[in-house]
Amino acid sequence: MKILESMLSKNSENKISLGLFFVLAILPVAAAFSYAVLYSFGVVGIANEGFTFRFWKEVLSTGEFIQSFGYSAAISAVSMVISISLALYLTIIFHKDFENKILSFIAYLPLSLPGVVAAFFGVQVLSKSGFFSRLSYKIGWTEDLSGFPDLINDQYAIGIIITFVSVVAPFFLLLFLNIYENEKVDELHKLANSLGADRRQSIWKVEIPILLHKSKKLISLYLIFLMGAYEIPLILGREAPQMLSVLIVRDLKQYDLTKISEGYVIAVIYSIVIGMITYFIFSRQKQVYA
Amino acid sequence: MRRIFFILLTMIIFGCKDQKATNPTTDLLTLEWSEILTRANGSEVTFMMWQGSPDLNKYINEYIKPHLKEKHGITLNIVGGQGPEIVQLLMGEKQANVSDGQVDMVWINGETFFQLKAIDGLWGPFLDKIPNSKLIDLSNKFISTDFQQPIGGMEVPWSITQFALVHDSIETPTPPSTLPELAAYVKQNQGYFTISNDFSGMTLLKSFLAELSGSPHGLDGTFDEIKYSDLSEKLWAWINQHKKYFWKNGETFPSENTKLNQMYANGEIKISYGFGEGGIDDKINQGLIPKSTKVYPWKNGTIKNSNYLGIVSNSGNKAGAMVAINYFLSPDAQFRKADVSGVNANTVLSYDLLTADDKVKFDQIPKRLYGPSIEELKGHAIQEPDPRYMIKLYEDFRKYVIEK
Repeated sequence: MKILESMLSKNSENKISLGLFFVLAILPVAAAFSYAVLYSFGVVGIANEGFTFRFWKEVLSTGEFIQSFGYSAAISAVSMVISISLALYLTIIFHKDFENKILSFIAYLPLSLPGVVAAFFGVQVLSKSGFFSRLSYKIGWTEDLSGFPDLINDQYAIGIIITFVSVVAPFFLLLFLNIYENEKVDELHKLANSLGADRRQSIWKVEIPILLHKSKKLISLYLIFLMGAYEIPLILGREAPQMLSVLIVRDLKQYDLTKISEGYVIAVIYSIVIGMITYFIFSRQKQVYA
Repeated sequence: MRRIFFILLTMIIFGCKDQKATNPTTDLLTLEWSEILTRANGSEVTFMMWQGSPDLNKYINEYIKPHLKEKHGITLNIVGGQGPEIVQLLMGEKQANVSDGQVDMVWINGETFFQLKAIDGLWGPFLDKIPNSKLIDLSNKFISTDFQQPIGGMEVPWSITQFALVHDSIETPTPPSTLPELAAYVKQNQGYFTISNDFSGMTLLKSFLAELSGSPHGLDGTFDEIKYSDLSEKLWAWINQHKKYFWKNGETFPSENTKLNQMYANGEIKISYGFGEGGIDDKINQGLIPKSTKVYPWKNGTIKNSNYLGIVSNSGNKAGAMVAINYFLSPDAQFRKADVSGVNANTVLSYDLLTADDKVKFDQIPKRLYGPSIEELKGHAIQEPDPRYMIKLYEDFRKYVIEK
């Protein structure tokens, strides 16, 4: 009888937990998405005049969304490849050194920086009047400000990528160091060596595959997260093309109130695409484990 | 778990309840001022304003707030936000039928006034009910007309300002003040000029557009689509022809005026611009820009306009907002705001309408050390054009210049 009561109580707690999750997590997102869809078709919005495809046609005809999506994906992918490579290198070569508290504190410090602060640091360090420009002037590499290369608001998004790497690499370093310890990668490395593998083989065939396999879901999600970054591309990016969040906010805040719905169109398309990618990532992993 | 559920339910119920006590407002405009003062006493007023100026923030927090509390028992709460944020907030609240909104009064200029009128976001007309508005010369077109729109009592002027350009008199002794002069200048000084993609940059483009029209009054009147198309086509052609000589070869443009100011301070650009008659005194005093920095107008004229205070249509405390606005307009508050070592803003009060004592006080305001007075620039003042010129300039500058 007591077992049955305990099961019933556990069952109702589960239901309440699910209900809370639905109310706090699913419902607000679903409501916001529905509102954005209605806004994008002109159904809601006090400056709108009723249902229309006008905003969708306008967004799809300019190609700005596609350009911005490609630009965001490229910047995020390059930043992730550099960050992960750096974190892998540091983990494999220096994992023992990070047991030192001071070194690990310095390495993880950028994790505590909000995006907007990291972006301002980027300006202070990378701009033509920033730290490196002054240093290069002092040591005689450049004769004046114009001689220093464009590293922020630049054509190749170098400033955005460097700043992304400075905040993303420490995160993956922390993650890889934990995996390295938990999965006893060091011991597997020694085992591989005892079975005849050289150092290069044990790194490429044992250590890196384990670290990447254990973190692949997080890598995919972080890539999506970077694509939606706002403050760093806002401060360090160019006026065109712009990363997706910057483009969406620009459209939502535009002075022509009759065109605000275009921002919602981009937000809706972006949400659908990202939702599909996320679903694809998770459904594929389920099949693998099944 | 039940406790959490109960707390959540309580939060939702109380969260849905109006937080502020509301005052009936239907009869406010027919009430005596003394009655409005009584209603406002002890209330809270929320003011949404741009908080980008440390001097202005200090003035509001250290002067306005305590005096408003002491004289009228009003607690003034400040929330950050300007043009688009104000409009977005009100659009959202109106969509949700919120009758007692988050803010009571707002600091706005012409294009926000235009947008708020379009969504019925402002309450009024209340200008005539404000006792200190009697000290304003409403026959002054730079005050009574906001971006070619009669203010109609729906907003109250707070300060008046003129747009001006800034140069270093040692590095650039003869700065350009016409488009042909600017063309020659950018060729000789490559990379040292740019146009910010914001309110200031668009205001500069309005000066260029007026010059292309051949007259300081070329953009006066309501928006003329044909005139705009003709003039803007010439403007984009001129910019695209010369942008290779701009900052970063014209491949990108700074997103805002603060960035432009930083670039001028760093020596990345040699010509800057802005409202507040160039706004150089505070920057020179802080040691950010050289003392040789001077301000000059565009030959065909630069925009002169006022900025305003409005009460939002869904304010829950319109009486409090009216009393606060009346205090913002008082000779004492306007005198303090004109302090050249502080906010350094031109008063909207008419000198002739002040009392003898106040005239003496205003006479004692020290002159700016570096920048010109608004009087010195008045020969080059042009009126703000219809807001639709601004809206179109924003859109087309991106379409025909930035993305080209």
